[in-house]
Amino acid sequence: MLSFDLRYRWQDFQAHYQAQLPLGVTSILGASGGGKSTLLALLGGYIEGQGSIQFEGQELLSLAPYERPITTLFQSDNLFPQLSVWDNIAIGLSPSRSLSDEQKHKVHWALEQVQLQVYADKFPDQLSGGQAQRVAIARVLVRKKPILLLDEPFSALDPKLRSDMLHLIKDLTHRYQWTTLMVTHSPADAMLLGGQALLLEEGRVVVQADAKILSEIPPDSPFNRYLHISMPVK
Amino acid sequence: MIFSSHLRPAWLGVAVYLVIAGAALVALLGYASPSDWGRYLADPYTWRVVRFSFTQASLSALLSILLAIPMASCLFHRRFIGRQTLLSLFAISMVVPTIVAILGIVVVYGRNSWFTSLFGVSFPLYGLGGILLAHVFFNMPLAVRVILQAYQLIPDAQWRLASQLGLSRWHVFRLIEWHYLKKNLPGLFLLIFMLCFSGFAVVLSLGGGPRSSTLEVAIYQALRFEFDLNKASYLSLLQVFICSLVALAVYKLVPAIRQDVSLYQGARLLMRSSRLAMLVDFGSLIIVLLWILPPFIAIFAPIVTPLFWQTLWQSDLWWSLWHSVRIALPSGVLALLIGLSIAALARALRWRRGGDGWAQKLEQSGNLVLMVPSLVLATGLFLMFRNIGISIKHAYWIVVWVNAVMALPFVLRAIMPTVYQQEKRFRHLYEQMNVVGLARLRMEWSQIRSAVAQGLAYAVLLSLGDLGVVALFGSKGLETLPMYLYQLIGSYRVEQGACVAVVLILLCLVLFSLINRLIGGRRVVV
Repeated sequence: MLSFDLRYRWQDFQAHYQAQLPLGVTSILGASGGGKSTLLALLGGYIEGQGSIQFEGQELLSLAPYERPITTLFQSDNLFPQLSVWDNIAIGLSPSRSLSDEQKHKVHWALEQVQLQVYADKFPDQLSGGQAQRVAIARVLVRKKPILLLDEPFSALDPKLRSDMLHLIKDLTHRYQWTTLMVTHSPADAMLLGGQALLLEEGRVVVQADAKILSEIPPDSPFNRYLHISMPVK
Repeated sequence: MIFSSHLRPAWLGVAVYLVIAGAALVALLGYASPSDWGRYLADPYTWRVVRFSFTQASLSALLSILLAIPMASCLFHRRFIGRQTLLSLFAISMVVPTIVAILGIVVVYGRNSWFTSLFGVSFPLYGLGGILLAHVFFNMPLAVRVILQAYQLIPDAQWRLASQLGLSRWHVFRLIEWHYLKKNLPGLFLLIFMLCFSGFAVVLSLGGGPRSSTLEVAIYQALRFEFDLNKASYLSLLQVFICSLVALAVYKLVPAIRQDVSLYQGARLLMRSSRLAMLVDFGSLIIVLLWILPPFIAIFAPIVTPLFWQTLWQSDLWWSLWHSVRIALPSGVLALLIGLSIAALARALRWRRGGDGWAQKLEQSGNLVLMVPSLVLATGLFLMFRNIGISIKHAYWIVVWVNAVMALPFVLRAIMPTVYQQEKRFRHLYEQMNVVGLARLRMEWSQIRSAVAQGLAYAVLLSLGDLGVVALFGSKGLETLPMYLYQLIGSYRVEQGACVAVVLILLCLVLFSLINRLIGGRRVVV
């Protein structure tokens, strides 16, 4: 169980996030400027807020980003351009990148999981956007942190590749018992991932519900407000 | 377009600049007789000078960079009380007149110095020790600033990843910082090397004799004491040759770089610290403070003594102040005019088919003085005047012109980015509505005035602090403040010199802020 109660102020923007998230996937929806990425940055420790973040009885707020049981996958720039694919994954296990046999094995295994074995010696600028994000996912796998934050990491991919990635994330989340939070603009992505859906408005969680309701939203739900803005009614 | 009438003043400016420079070089080379050069080549003194120039320049550059790297990393990652002050101190030590800093160093390390009274032994100031001390004093802050600029180019995403992965400061340095640094280091090394290789005032004041001399000083001696133009032209060609050679070699070493384009700038992130990181940060901070701070204190200490107020009553001081201003202001304006001419042509050429290369060449022509020593240019000009029958009385204009040329690289660095930015953003609009010449200047003035002021201020400051060309002529009407100061240090009247130094620094600060406020239109912090 991941629960948070976080306040954050930046100029005119005042956020107060409160929620309790179960194991599995939670999609975060909301209009642009509603504070979705801010929430992830707060959880990841990249900006400072007040309040508390609890995970399995541990308080995370006072911890540095690298001390939190969290891996964040950003929209872009998840890889060091100066390191090869192999090293980009290896650095998740050991900052010095000198690995034991067992660790090397693990990198191989992670590359296999994302089907990039033959790309081990390539550099990020030789990869497509989807391949680069898969390398980042491979690093998530070796890091074995129980919380995964995804900040629209697949928004730049074509629809087929995007759904492949979402399936991969869904599958990995269930297999390794992660708590996965994904910011997305697309209700369809949220439905594909299943699990929970959070709707953010002006820095507040206004709805938390099963993602299934996105297919049949009751007329009085705040989701309607958001969806009417984000996509025309069928 | 490029030949249209509104660009005529710019063409004129560039032409005058290049023709005078060319004529000066031709005039000097006219006195060269290469048949004698075999004799010079065999002269062991020349080679000793070359060897020493090389050694001191390499050591100065190496030391400056070695100290600057941990300092810059510390300044980037840590926030501590006095950090901003230290950064301002670095900025000041870069523009403080050479001779003033030399004075500070002499007070701290010379005979009867603070060092002697503190440790009971005298510091081996005159020779390599003093030269290194001064060169690092000037160039280490420069190196720190260049490195910090390189750090600004590191995408935030890299720090974010490093923080997420819990890399230690050492790993962050090796993986991220070093990666971005290594492509800047050869250029930085080269810059400092060249500045020190052709170093004049420092070596003249602290070299302590022919044993530790540089080519530039040897040229000065050949010109002033031996009046051997042939030897001077040989030595200057040698200097140009060696500088070009080093430049070529260093650029061959620049490694290829893998870089992404994302430049998102966000908050500073926490890196995992360690005892080692703390130790390195603290150690480099202490060394840098010990190196930079005492000469500064020494410069400003006399302001509380009665001698300072006595010195203020000396008419020599006010005369030399007047000479300084009389040279610095016109030469600053001249540098700005040449710089603006180059800028106007370069912006007209850039973004045009085939014009890009020409724009670059124009810009590089402004860096002439980095390759050809200012003393050589001055001598060439002097000879040119003599050839056409104008006498030494016009040394004033030679000094003004050479100082302007010396400042040109700095003026260009200040104005070019802004000018290019305006051209890039608005050139289609300008073309569409035919906004040219003065009309364009009026429109852009509010955007470029602060850059223009910055360029002018640098040029005036450089000229104010110059001790090179004035030392060469050193005739009546040219005893500037730095010259006066040099004479005082030479006759061991260091206390009085310190008072003059304070006046010179105050003059620099006043002119710098006046120019920035009146022309730049806003308050500027050094």
